[in-house]
Amino acid sequence: MNRIDLIRMGLKNLWRRKLRTFLTILGVLIGTSSIIVMLSIGFGMQESYMGMLSRMGDLTTINVYKGYGGGYMDASSGRKSNEVKLNDEAIENFKNIPHVVAATPLVETWGMIVSGKNMAYVTLKGIDPNSMQHFEYKIAEGRLLEPGDNLAVVFGGGMRYNFYNERDLKRGIYTPPDVDLMNDRMVFTFDTSGGYPAMPGEQRPRYKEYNLKVVGVLQEGNWDTDYSVFMPIDTVQKMIKEKEKAENYPQQNKSKDNEYETALVKVDSIDHVEEVQQVITDSGYNAYSLSDSLKEMKKMSSTIQAVLGGIGAISLLVAAIGITNTMVMSIYERTKEIGIMKVIGASIRDIKRLFLFESALIGLLGGIFGIGMSFLLSFGLNHFGSGFFMNVGFEPGSKISIIPIWVVFAALAFSTFIGILSGYYPARRAMKLSAIEAIRTE
Amino acid sequence: MDELINLKNVRKVYRMGDEKIVALNDINLTIYREEFVCLLGTSGSGKSTLLNLMAGLEKPTKGEIIIGKHHIEKMNEKQLAKFRQLHIGFVFQSYNLIPTLSALENVSLSLTFRGVPKKVREKMAKEMLVAVGLGNRLRHKPSEMSGGQQQRVSIARAFVGNPEIVFADEPTGNLDTKTTIEVMDLITDMAREHKQTLIIVTHDPEIAPYGDRIIHLRDGSIEKIVQNKKKEDYA
Ligand SMILES: Nc1ncnc2c1ncn2[C@@H]1O[C@H](COP(=O)(O)OP(=O)(O)OP(=O)(O)O)[C@@H](O)[C@H]1O
Ligand SMILES: [Mg+2]
Repeated sequence: MNRIDLIRMGLKNLWRRKLRTFLTILGVLIGTSSIIVMLSIGFGMQESYMGMLSRMGDLTTINVYKGYGGGYMDASSGRKSNEVKLNDEAIENFKNIPHVVAATPLVETWGMIVSGKNMAYVTLKGIDPNSMQHFEYKIAEGRLLEPGDNLAVVFGGGMRYNFYNERDLKRGIYTPPDVDLMNDRMVFTFDTSGGYPAMPGEQRPRYKEYNLKVVGVLQEGNWDTDYSVFMPIDTVQKMIKEKEKAENYPQQNKSKDNEYETALVKVDSIDHVEEVQQVITDSGYNAYSLSDSLKEMKKMSSTIQAVLGGIGAISLLVAAIGITNTMVMSIYERTKEIGIMKVIGASIRDIKRLFLFESALIGLLGGIFGIGMSFLLSFGLNHFGSGFFMNVGFEPGSKISIIPIWVVFAALAFSTFIGILSGYYPARRAMKLSAIEAIRTE
Repeated sequence: MDELINLKNVRKVYRMGDEKIVALNDINLTIYREEFVCLLGTSGSGKSTLLNLMAGLEKPTKGEIIIGKHHIEKMNEKQLAKFRQLHIGFVFQSYNLIPTLSALENVSLSLTFRGVPKKVREKMAKEMLVAVGLGNRLRHKPSEMSGGQQQRVSIARAFVGNPEIVFADEPTGNLDTKTTIEVMDLITDMAREHKQTLIIVTHDPEIAPYGDRIIHLRDGSIEKIVQNKKKEDYA
């Protein structure tokens, strides 16, 4: 029997029992769409967390800290035997790890910026101006730091809100800060007394004042950068030295001069973060990245997805039993017909193909309509269900249900596969039917 | 004189629990090409069993069944299906048409399994139905036809692929006398015309004389063989 006749005959057989075929397809439809919708909620959840994380910072940046963990304490030197230095050489080594795009040390210090009547407490972050462009700093105004910058600063997007008017505040008035980050004069000082007169007898260090040149402001909405102020690392280091001098801080050991507490490593894609992080921790550093949380979250959401998918799978299992049932019933009804076909020359292969085709078609059609149904349900959830789902940890404005395109194809393949699988036992029965006995049944 | 079917020491035993039913016992028989053989016997004598064995629908318990050069008893399901498809036509007492298919579709069905394209097989089926006198009933379902008409459809189906052998198990068992004669004439004429070997089972002594040879069965054994025509006439 050739393929076109097989299809024609199979369609005719299904059409002959319209109602039953329809009900069986309905079963597969419900099964498929419940799996897809359940999974789509899982995907929505994942996406929502991803969005949340990416607002917390850059997912492809690894924070590296000097390694304190692991190794033995060397009694004579008081240092861990395998303590690794986080110095320029280490930074260069990070840059050579595959998939690393850029690496920079990070030096932090604290102080105050005064702009006219307004002032703000700030965290100064010194980074390598060469590599700033490689990290995901999204500029809103101006530009990022560039090589050759000196007292240049880039403000985090939320810095505006950090300024306040000390004098007004003292009188109990809060006026919203009215600063133009790009154009107002900004002066940095380590003196955080805010202009209060010194107590009698108090010896205050005489800090230098630095006139900052604002070159850019970052976009708002990133919790990691919003309240930071970025400057070239050399400048910050110099400022720290001057501060220490002003405070009469004991001069540090020269050999340690070049060591940093923190470094940032940028990886080319989120898929390689774990790998790179492993290399870094293996060489003795502590490393942390948001993808750690991402990993946790992925684990959690795949558990949730497995549970949800499992619920959907049960209904597809019921549907599969439905297909088997329909096909077995169809064999009972068609016993004689199968016998006749065998006597007049149908091969057992023809019989098998016919039955498998019919059940596969039920699966496929159920899958197609199930996908249609899923998109409707998904649309409904995204438009009308947000009130409910917001309460269970979804970010406002994010989609509850997301159906990736691969799921559509997987669902089609899977439902057809389920159809074939469910039809397999009935098909075998039909094949094994003795022609002569089948023909005798009335 | 060309031997077509050879049965050697064929025995068929049915087991019903502990009970053994010997349906055929030590049958030795040769059927010649283009011969028309009648199997005659009372109910339960083993006629249908013998026919089914020769058509490869059942396996003998013992013995050999050779058609042409093929050992039927050694073939598997797949080979048997192919063999039936190419060499054998079948007519049943109860017509055994597929109720949901029209006369034309029923007749062309066996060609479908051979992989004959739709246009060709429908043309062949139509010609066959015209030949059995049903040119005006092509689109009728079995339920819309009389018993005689249904049997004509099944005869058309048996002959449409031009098989070498046509088996008929009491083809007139459900028909009245007048229709019986019409149907018997039709079958024999067709078989003669296409030089086919025809083996008919009947318990009706009125029909037996149609055959070149009448094989009398009793309790699973060949009781006697009556030569109706000289072998030379058809060999
Ligand atoms: N499938 C079977 N299982 C058990 N016994 C069977 C089976 N088929 C046939 N028989 C037995 O074999 C014997 C011969 O049966 P068969 O059908 O060949 O008879 P028959 O000559 O065709 O009779 P009838 O004229 O009534 O059709 C009978 O005794 C019958 O009971
Ligand atoms: Mg019989």
